[in-house]
Amino acid sequence: MARSQHKLATERYLARPVVARPSVSQRSAAALLPPLLMGVLVVIAYIWTRSGLETHRQFLMPTLEGLWTQAFSQPAVLSQLFNAAATTLSIALAGLAISIPIGMLLGVVMFRFQVMEKAIFPYLVALQSIPILAIIPLLQSALGFGFLPKVLIVALFTFFSIPTTLLLGLKSVDRSIIDLFRLQKAGWPTMLIKAGFPSAAPTLFAGLRISAGLAVIGAIVSELFFLSGPGGLGQMLINAKIDFKYEQMYAALLVSSMLSISVYLLFSWLGNRLFSEWHESGGR
Amino acid sequence: MTTSLAQTKTDKAPANDRLPGNAALMFDAVSMTFPDGTQALDTVTLAIQPGEFVSIVGPSGCGKSTLLKLASGLESHTSGDIWVDRDSLGYTFQDATLLPWRKVLANVELLMELRGFDPAERRRIALEQIELVGLTGFENHYPRRLSGGMKMRASLARSLALNPAVFLFDEPFGALDEITRERLNDELIALYTRQKFTGLFITHSIPEAVYLSTKVVVMSKRPGRIVASFDIAFPEPRTPELRYTSGFAEVCGEISLALRNAMEG
Repeated sequence: MARSQHKLATERYLARPVVARPSVSQRSAAALLPPLLMGVLVVIAYIWTRSGLETHRQFLMPTLEGLWTQAFSQPAVLSQLFNAAATTLSIALAGLAISIPIGMLLGVVMFRFQVMEKAIFPYLVALQSIPILAIIPLLQSALGFGFLPKVLIVALFTFFSIPTTLLLGLKSVDRSIIDLFRLQKAGWPTMLIKAGFPSAAPTLFAGLRISAGLAVIGAIVSELFFLSGPGGLGQMLINAKIDFKYEQMYAALLVSSMLSISVYLLFSWLGNRLFSEWHESGGR
Repeated sequence: MTTSLAQTKTDKAPANDRLPGNAALMFDAVSMTFPDGTQALDTVTLAIQPGEFVSIVGPSGCGKSTLLKLASGLESHTSGDIWVDRDSLGYTFQDATLLPWRKVLANVELLMELRGFDPAERRRIALEQIELVGLTGFENHYPRRLSGGMKMRASLARSLALNPAVFLFDEPFGALDEITRERLNDELIALYTRQKFTGLFITHSIPEAVYLSTKVVVMSKRPGRIVASFDIAFPEPRTPELRYTSGFAEVCGEISLALRNAMEG
């Protein structure tokens, strides 16, 4: 009777009832708990590592209590941290204020004139491959120990990703969008402003986020070489070592990374505000 | 404001009419060879009279789209002459080509903006065109939130806002499903009846070509030549029932046959 030679192992499959969506508090707990637990684990690992150190080397890892009593609870240290962070931030932002406009200008020039791209791009890569730390002594000799050389170091640290991401973004503008503008005889500046920049903006912002994170690192590194002028976090790190105040060093480290994260988040937030509504990377 | 070119819907001129003064768009022995030596088009001669709606069907890669690029000046032909008023051209691409960072309203305003229209004027025209293509209520939506058909409607509205005398369509509905496509065909007929542009329409779909056009032209495989031309005599404006008549099927059949020969020959 059977027309098919297939042997069937028919089984019964049950329906899956609708599961209620987790409540807001459940969801936020689910989002916060893993990183929180991870943090606790890190602290435990820290304490455990510390307990394994010989007593005379335990100063390398201050206790949480020491961090509180020697650093974060002391108004003098707190105001020093605050001032140092402000100084470091001002160096980082001043560096970005140089590298972003110049980088963007270079990106546009390379996009507009292919010959310029051919001429400049290899040197951009070369610049990126020079360890910036290695040219800091040269900068010192040339420019002294003021604010300017530190800012230039940050600019060098953060430069590379700006023209390269902008160029990539500009080159990726939809071909038919360009045709659309050409059909209306739109000039090159019009195309750049109305099609190029908006289209390249998400790519450029990916570069800006990288640069923003590097800016704070660059600022701190620059200070390690220039122990003069109003002290930033880098200077505070060195001075804490000299004064044997390791609690303060750790405090400065923590504030440094918070600063770096804040600048990164600032650019992420800005990017999100600008494109989340229309770009595929944005949330619905 | 209608351009004088589009207002005069003249009687059909004889097929061999070669007076560029009469035609809204004319290809006169146009050939095109790419820099690498491949020939895309071979002495194409086609005169489109004001108010005519001509569709071109042909094998993939036969140079159909290239004809539109040449007519609009996006690319240059290498011999022959093209006669057209490039300032009154409309052009829709294979995809809607909306700017993703602009809402529908700003997208529809774009071409007018580039032409330097007064802001209030372009707002008024844009809203009018959006209503005509049935997108009222979606003015403030970003393109990513629209369906394929709605994107294409916005794209049509954008071109129509300039009230083009000659409208070039590069397979605009090729990516849409059958039902949406037929609806947009009807909407296009309504727009054509209303704005009386001259149309040159590229498509892969023979029924679509027959339904929309006053003339269907068949091109050979590359290098593209015109191998057959059919005047479509069904009364206008066409209505959906036409698609189910035997006369319609017969014309489609004839063109299919010509296309099959073109692909082999």
